[in-house]
Amino acid sequence: MPMKVDYVVRETTSNLGRNLSITIASVLTVFVSLVLVGSSLMLRTAVENATQRWQGGIEFVVYLNTTASQDQIDSIARALDDSPEVEGYTYFDQEASYEEFKRLFADSPEMVDSVTAEDLPPSFRVKPVNKDADSVRSLSDTFRERAGVRDVILASKTIQLIQDMSRSLTLIIVVVALGLLFVAGLLILNTIRMAMFARRREIEVMKLVGATNWFIRVPFMLEGLVQGLIGALSAIGALILIRPVFEGWLPKASEIPLVSGFTVGTGSLIGIYLLLAVVGALVGTIGAGVAVTRFLDV
Amino acid sequence: MITLQNVTKTYKNGTVALRDASVEITKGEFVFLVGTSGSGKSTFIRLLNKEETPEKGHIYVAGKDIGQLSSWKVPFLRRNIGCIFQDFKLLPSKTVFENVAFALEVIGRPRSVVQTQVPAILDLVGLGHKASNFPDELSGGEQQRVSVARAFVNRPLILLADEPTGNLDPATSVGIMRLLDRINKTGTTVVMATHDRGIVDTMRRRVIEIDRGTIVRDQARGVYE
Repeated sequence: MPMKVDYVVRETTSNLGRNLSITIASVLTVFVSLVLVGSSLMLRTAVENATQRWQGGIEFVVYLNTTASQDQIDSIARALDDSPEVEGYTYFDQEASYEEFKRLFADSPEMVDSVTAEDLPPSFRVKPVNKDADSVRSLSDTFRERAGVRDVILASKTIQLIQDMSRSLTLIIVVVALGLLFVAGLLILNTIRMAMFARRREIEVMKLVGATNWFIRVPFMLEGLVQGLIGALSAIGALILIRPVFEGWLPKASEIPLVSGFTVGTGSLIGIYLLLAVVGALVGTIGAGVAVTRFLDV
Repeated sequence: MITLQNVTKTYKNGTVALRDASVEITKGEFVFLVGTSGSGKSTFIRLLNKEETPEKGHIYVAGKDIGQLSSWKVPFLRRNIGCIFQDFKLLPSKTVFENVAFALEVIGRPRSVVQTQVPAILDLVGLGHKASNFPDELSGGEQQRVSVARAFVNRPLILLADEPTGNLDPATSVGIMRLLDRINKTGTTVVMATHDRGIVDTMRRRVIEIDRGTIVRDQARGVYE
């Protein structure tokens, strides 16, 4: 059925204007909850980025000399294979280290440009069976003196603390934000319901003269979608504004050893922004959809 | 054009609004439904445009069994049926022109059709000169003319009228009936529920009398009682 664009636009905007105060309330709720979701996701990404080398139970890293021979590498690998205290390990050769380096410093191309694969040491990321500090230390010490080894670095308590904190913080923020999103959905539902009530005579006449159900529904659905999207877009705008502050507030790489910069790559940022837009649009459309099916007896 | 076969309609509270009603109305007929308030006249009308669904029996409108109609097809049924009511159901925020145009716009008719059809129908009901007035600036009779124009602008096959003269004085009612008569003469089937004795007796058309849900009389060229 041909649906006139100007009709839909006219209806949607006049509805939005009619209930300005409650529209603002629902948009603001979407905004606040999505800012929370967005910043917790950013925090999470930053922490993951910074502690990437230490994920999945990796307790220490054996860095080799860039000049280590294949024999030396093989002998260390064999020692790791043979040791009953080693649960598993991953070998990063220079190429893999370079790939990782590029990923971690994606936002600082000048850093990436100044380094080549030959400059980076190959490494073994080791996951010990026993995770208590003393046994990890004594295990790691057995590798310190081997030929070709430049250094052995242990995960510090700090890193575990950071990881744990970011996990629970993210969880709390996401739970609060989900609650707020639910409230936002209800508010949008209510706005749409009021809009329908304000226009009940028109709806009655539309049904009478044979307007299709979707023709009647679409302006209301769009109204919800627009509210959700406005909330989401302002949340994205706010996140763009606070991102420099956010990154400045996080500790610098140089302040905590062993980590590589708390940054959020542009790629993951775009992902986060897209997610927020989709969530905002969904909350709006679902709220309006429920209102339309529950209260618009067509 | 309209066929009811053994139609029964009971409301949730137990009221039997229509009991085992069978009626055949052919194209171009003018039918009065008479009976006291609550006799089932309005239910009869509401069944025809599927505002209500029958409990038993079959209803055919324009050759289709509307009991079998899925809900998304109901709007297309209603495009063949014009409706007018005692309370006019005009939109107070729209002008006369806009009220009539609204009926075309919401079923997706192009602007060119709206621009030609609406003035033509307003001239037909004699309100061409009041196109830009608002409903509350019109008399009751004029408002009912607007609602007739809105019901007829899409040239429906059937015109349903539920007490269209219920709010009008006798002289004004005569004007509305002349209008409905003219519309009927274009071939449109008209079904009108009324308890206006004077109108029924002067028009001398087919009369179907309903008493507590049962059709008690179906008389060609009938009178009110």
